[in-house]
Amino acid sequence: MERVSAVAKKFEVTNNIRTLRFFASEMTQQELAEKAGVSRQTVIAVEAGKYSPTLELAFRIADAFGLPITEVFGYKAKENT
Amino acid sequence: MSYQSKKTITSMVGGALVLAAYCIYAFGRYSSGAIAEGNLKFWAGTMLVFIGIGIVGIILLQIVFHIALSIGIAVKERACDEKEIDKRIEATLEATVIEDEMDKLIELKSSQIGFVLAGVGFVGALILVVLGHSTVVMLNVMYLSFLVGSLMEGATSLYFYGKGVSSG
Repeated sequence: MERVSAVAKKFEVTNNIRTLRFFASEMTQQELAEKAGVSRQTVIAVEAGKYSPTLELAFRIADAFGLPITEVFGYKAKENT
Repeated sequence: MSYQSKKTITSMVGGALVLAAYCIYAFGRYSSGAIAEGNLKFWAGTMLVFIGIGIVGIILLQIVFHIALSIGIAVKERACDEKEIDKRIEATLEATVIEDEMDKLIELKSSQIGFVLAGVGFVGALILVVLGHSTVVMLNVMYLSFLVGSLMEGATSLYFYGKGVSSG
């Protein structure tokens, strides 16, 4: 169990939301929030990596861009570990 | 600052006012000698009154807060014509006050802190009775720990809104 959590701590969820918003005609955070059905505060937190969305929200955000989830979110090792 | 943060601050201000009012009124009367030692009826009655004041006060504060929020949105949207403004205010308000999964997670985590503080206060109050303090002290410690717990709940929410929150 300890080993599992130790492995999980070394990884983080990353995203390309800022870039994708830029290429989606400079979509605003508010517009993305409305499309994904969340508040702008949540979009800001997800974009800044301060909040890892649930799988459902991740799918909804990806759907707002019309892209598969793997093109919006990534899962990579933290650099400082 | 987000809607949720402002709403939390409004509730915290209400809670802090109730706490201050209780301390000034109840301890003021106690220290003036108007209340007999061990007068549980006075303390229980005062706490009940302040619980009522707290509930009504926070509801009123939230109403005033939402009115102020609507006025703020109306001022921002005043460029559009009269027929459109109501719809725009409604749409903006709806988009602003939405409570999503992050809000629920923050609420869950911060309420845990509130419950822990209230629990610690309860245990502390029992320990004080075991150590020989009066039941009045126990009642006050329990009541104040609930009030402080709710304030800490708000402070924790604000911390999570600022720093971010992880579901792990």
